[in-house]
Amino acid sequence: MSQKELENEVAGLIVEAVNLDQPADALDPEVRLFGEGLGLDSIDLLEVALAVSRKYGFQLRSDDPNNERIFSSLRALSAHIAQHRTR
Amino acid sequence: MSEAWHVAEERGSPAAIGLLAWLTVKLGRRATRWLLHPICWYFLATSARARRASKAFLARVLGRQPGTRDVMRHLHTFATTIHDRVLLIRGDCSPFEIAAHGVGELETILEGGRGCILLGSHLGSFEVLRALARLNGKYAINPVIHEPAAAKTSRVFARLSPESQDRLIRPGQLDTMLKVKECLERGEPVGILGDRPLGSAKALAREFLGAPALFPIAPFLLAAALGVPVVMFFGLYLGAARYEVHFEKLTDGVFVPREHRMETAGRWLDRYVERLEHYVRRAPYNWFNFYDFWAAHRI
Repeated sequence: MSQKELENEVAGLIVEAVNLDQPADALDPEVRLFGEGLGLDSIDLLEVALAVSRKYGFQLRSDDPNNERIFSSLRALSAHIAQHRTR
Repeated sequence: MSEAWHVAEERGSPAAIGLLAWLTVKLGRRATRWLLHPICWYFLATSARARRASKAFLARVLGRQPGTRDVMRHLHTFATTIHDRVLLIRGDCSPFEIAAHGVGELETILEGGRGCILLGSHLGSFEVLRALARLNGKYAINPVIHEPAAAKTSRVFARLSPESQDRLIRPGQLDTMLKVKECLERGEPVGILGDRPLGSAKALAREFLGAPALFPIAPFLLAAALGVPVVMFFGLYLGAARYEVHFEKLTDGVFVPREHRMETAGRWLDRYVERLEHYVRRAPYNWFNFYDFWAAHRI
């Protein structure tokens, strides 16, 4: 799966997980997910984390020192998933 | 609005707060309790904001125009719980009579190993609950509480009990809810005060003491998404050295599919607000939201 394809898939997952009003393909891969930007809050990120673990078979954890970076954008999250997915 | 209570709680000099805490630990509750009177008079005289908020709230709940005596009683109840917190946070329950109701139900849930959300409010004392949990020795609570590191009182209490800081979870952070989820997965209870927003804009208006107010629904969405039980708690100060802690189960911990979550959260919120109002009427002077609680809804 190419980077672009995975980003599209993760965009779809985010839109569904937090009921975003915009279509998945309109999501800017560089926009900030948490707070300013896409405007997700902590409970939204939990929803995203749950969806990621269901679909890709690994856990996003609070003690990961890279969390700021992982959740910084759709692109960063997708790259993290590509690295850690088990399915 | 979210800044209002932080400002309200940031009064007083750190040296004075530290001194009072030190005296309380050295001399005990009875020998230092009289000091609360001059302190309350000082706040009554200097904090117009707290006085106004207290009067407006008491008028609403008592159904009559409150006098200075009532406001003093309100401030004194608040001061008492802060004073008592000095001892409770160090695990010293000896000066107090603490009556606990519904502990059995809570323990049954925790023995199930799924953890639970302990949903409280700024009515009464959170510390009495934590002390009770420590006394039983079976479970430690992970509180999701806004304790700004710079806050004067937070620093004093952190010094009194450094280990009480270990389990604090800061609300509104990127990883707040991931931390909460991990505590619950270990079977531990997570304490959340459900009457003020926790860095999430998700809130619903509910009729509370005769007028609509905004309540956060994040705790309910969390419970619905993770399928964990919610147990409400109310730690009331009832005068002299008496406290009463009530636990009431709100939900059994069923996973709620996403499309039903908002509706379910709204129903759980109805129940929470109803119980909160019940206990506010039982112990009105325990209401420690010294700001216009209804203002956020009017904006």
